[in-house]
Amino acid sequence: EWIPASKLHHLLSHPLYQAQGTMPPSYDRLLSPHEIMKSYKKRVTHQNRKRRGPRFEGNRTIPLTDSKSDPPAPWLQFHMEIDKDALYPRSSPVVDRLLQSMGNMMIIGADHTPDEKALNGECDCSQIVKPSGTHLKLILRFQDHAKAMFKPMRQSREDETPEDFFYFVDFQRHNAEIAAFHLDRILDFRRVPPVAGRLINLTSEILEVTTNQELESVFFVSPANNVCFFAKCLYMCKTEYAACGNPHMLEGSLSAFLPSLNFADRLSVPHPWIRSYTFAGKEEWETNPSYCDSVKTLPPYTNQKRLLGVMDLAVFDFLIGNMDRHHYETFTKFGEDGFLLHMDNARGFGRPFVDELSILAPLYQCCLVKEDTWLRLKLFTLNEYRLSDVMRESLQNDRLRDVLTESHLVALDRRLQKVLEVVDQCVQTHGTDAVIIKDAAPQHKTDQ
Amino acid sequence: MKMILVRKFRVLILMIFLVACTMHIMIDLLPKLEKRAIRSDGDLGCTCSHNPNEETQGWVKQRPKNTAETGWPNKHTLRILQDFSSDPSSNLTSHSLEKITGNVDKNEPFKKLEQREMIKELHNKHLIHDGSINKIQPGTGYSRLANLFQHPLYLSAIPTLTEDDVLFNVNSDIRFNPKAAENPEWQNGANEGNEEVEFLPTGEAHVDSYPNWLKFHIGINRYELYSRQNPAIGGLLQDLSTQKITSVAMKSGGTQLKLIMTFQNYGQALFKPMKQTREQETPPDFFYFSDFERHNAEIAAFHLDRILDFRRVPPVAGRLVNMTKEIRDVTRDKKLWRTFFISPANNICFYGECSYYCSTEHALCGKPDQIEGSLAAFLPDLSLAKRKTWRNPWRRSYHKRKKAEWEVDSDYCEEVKQTPPYDSGTRLLDLIDMTVFDFLMGNMDRHHYETFEKFGNETFIIHLDNGRGFGKYSHDELSILVPLNQCCRIKKSTYLRLQMLAKEEYKLSGLMEESLSLDKLAPVVFQPHLEAMDRRLRIVLQAINECIEKHKYESVIENDLDSNLSDK
Repeated sequence: EWIPASKLHHLLSHPLYQAQGTMPPSYDRLLSPHEIMKSYKKRVTHQNRKRRGPRFEGNRTIPLTDSKSDPPAPWLQFHMEIDKDALYPRSSPVVDRLLQSMGNMMIIGADHTPDEKALNGECDCSQIVKPSGTHLKLILRFQDHAKAMFKPMRQSREDETPEDFFYFVDFQRHNAEIAAFHLDRILDFRRVPPVAGRLINLTSEILEVTTNQELESVFFVSPANNVCFFAKCLYMCKTEYAACGNPHMLEGSLSAFLPSLNFADRLSVPHPWIRSYTFAGKEEWETNPSYCDSVKTLPPYTNQKRLLGVMDLAVFDFLIGNMDRHHYETFTKFGEDGFLLHMDNARGFGRPFVDELSILAPLYQCCLVKEDTWLRLKLFTLNEYRLSDVMRESLQNDRLRDVLTESHLVALDRRLQKVLEVVDQCVQTHGTDAVIIKDAAPQHKTDQ
Repeated sequence: MKMILVRKFRVLILMIFLVACTMHIMIDLLPKLEKRAIRSDGDLGCTCSHNPNEETQGWVKQRPKNTAETGWPNKHTLRILQDFSSDPSSNLTSHSLEKITGNVDKNEPFKKLEQREMIKELHNKHLIHDGSINKIQPGTGYSRLANLFQHPLYLSAIPTLTEDDVLFNVNSDIRFNPKAAENPEWQNGANEGNEEVEFLPTGEAHVDSYPNWLKFHIGINRYELYSRQNPAIGGLLQDLSTQKITSVAMKSGGTQLKLIMTFQNYGQALFKPMKQTREQETPPDFFYFSDFERHNAEIAAFHLDRILDFRRVPPVAGRLVNMTKEIRDVTRDKKLWRTFFISPANNICFYGECSYYCSTEHALCGKPDQIEGSLAAFLPDLSLAKRKTWRNPWRRSYHKRKKAEWEVDSDYCEEVKQTPPYDSGTRLLDLIDMTVFDFLMGNMDRHHYETFEKFGNETFIIHLDNGRGFGKYSHDELSILVPLNQCCRIKKSTYLRLQMLAKEEYKLSGLMEESLSLDKLAPVVFQPHLEAMDRRLRIVLQAINECIEKHKYESVIENDLDSNLSDK
């Protein structure tokens, strides 16, 4: 049997990944290029003026670097290419350049997330499910003015989520963020913002470039002489220890920022199959097998495109084992027809030997799947396109080695099989036409 | 019109009726409640709320009545207040207790009288000095441990005890717990089936029939927490691991979760649940004050302390506890009860309430409902045996960046030597003993230590709170040994014993392994920890040798053996 040298290339040359389209009309784009460029130049000048302030008055010895105005910066091109169908076009050179630049471009600034700042230092240790602002993550700014969300390594690759952990107290894994991006791209969803792994020097690339004194105060040197920093609230509550470098270097994931909400507002929608986020509570979908019938009658799920988007998300989450999908986001501009953003995947890839079938509830309760999703999923069961092989190959492009362990890769194949079994079951009960839905709009014609 | 009036008054009438009803019920119930309160004052029941302030206030209000009635305060309220740890944060509790003891002291002359009788009795009955803790079961063959305890170094006797040297008065303690004195139940756990309880003709229970925890308390004297041959210690360890648990409360004040367990025989113990597996090491980036408290460290520390012949750690035994039947179902502490949940893997878990690691992320889970833990016997109630808490001169800074004075000043010991109580008696030498003990276990968290106030400054120091030992087997924390390095003094008895434990036939790791094999949770510590102790012992001996080379032998090795002999 012939096995291609590069299964990934072989996959991308498959007709399913080759459907060509015309350039999308401008109204299908998220941003208008003129407006963006104008504001971008303004912001760079403003930023540089602001950054010059503390350099003169403060007692810093290291001058802060200016950000450069660079129109063809990959992050800017990434923003301008976002359209109605996906975050980025298929096999886009821009995404690869963006990943590259996040992996090596100079970091000139670091700060807490707005989420965390909004908490205003408040910390309620008795809260079982803590707000997302309490988690250890930072915003880094690169020299080309790009921003990225940094999530440091908290667990070794071999560590698994302990069996007694609920989904809402699971660790945040940087490698899950990276792998989720690659999987999403391979599945041709293109709904995860690009994520790159990088070894960060905590001292020179974060501590010495931040102007936020709060952030400086969470850095310390451990008894083993490593540089560490922590999430204030979780550290105070003694639920989490600091993240430490060795002695300065620490792995982390960098996920590219989406366009500012000023230009492209986003809507955060509660997931209809949300979990209870309590120890014992159960949601309606967990007890009512015909829950989907009521979802179908509620807007925006009366729009089948949105419902199918939720099905895709369920398949994606099941493959990575992410039970923590309480909300999803969409771009306001695209309305109900717009795609669902698959953000915040750090809680995936925690249990390589457990397949959490309840994540597939939307799929087996609604019995609906997009035809092209289904066709692609079937493709990955073939030896020449095997999902684990394609993923392994794709992850090799990342700077961090062995982003996923073998058992996680093997789990992908096993879970894929289970998804297809669920679809088969649906087809047997309801018939092919009722389950496998041909795209109403000629979606893949608009690509590229 | 009439209708409106009736309607208007209907509410009023109803209210009056309700009030009348409530009052009637109250009046009816009050005597019963009172009776029950008197009858069940041995029952921990309603006293398990764990706010120390609340406790104290409640007790203070109650006190005049109680003291008038019986002359003694309510035993169990006090027990909960007992300050077991040396956490600075729990000073509040010990402080509030000082007031209480002041009141008790009024009965001092009365107590003295009883004490004299008790001491007579002690000596007559040889209660403490017969039998053996370490009776090795017949047929087990050669025992290193038995061999060790037969060595002359382990046979030296303590000086003859006068009444000032005995901590505790049998009669006063038993009076504190009159219910326990009358109740034959306490024996059930120790020897099931033995229904026969000896009573003296006067109706007082015979000393031999006292529960082991009480015998342990009675045995405490100026020089030791328990004598080498006290049979009650073996029995107490047995009790801790088998006695029925009748109630559970959370301990307030401490940083990490600890539970106070009360047994059927009215004894009490401090429960520390398992937080880490035996193989897990403290991560290298953790500070000593972020480290977990390990239940197995508590157990191993007791055995190590006994092998070193210090006998300054209260008895600790391991136990597999059923979280449902022995914790959840017997606690009346709502705050504790509320934190029980069933994990996704269908195990019973809880996390309690405390300042360190009491969150869902650090929940303690059974398999499915059994959890390992250590049970440390309670020391005598603070109201009868007040303790003094001393700041360790070599206390660490408990700060991420700051250093303590002893870390920068190499002549620090000179200063300490001139400060009371270190300028006289054996206190400094006891501190060095503790230093060696802590270094062998790798415990960096010795910020305070305690002594029994009754004995003044001429007494041993209690080695409490050893949960942070045995965290790293691959690392020897030399800074723990600084007091020895800086002071260059050590007791001769300790030095000789350390030398002996370094010999192949008395090897420390072998003795520890044998001693720990008697515990229910054996193997209590991971093998590399045992080997680490041998390695650390050599480091200690090396440090002493360096001292002897630098100074004279006589100025380093304090001869405490001759003084013992002369006492004889």
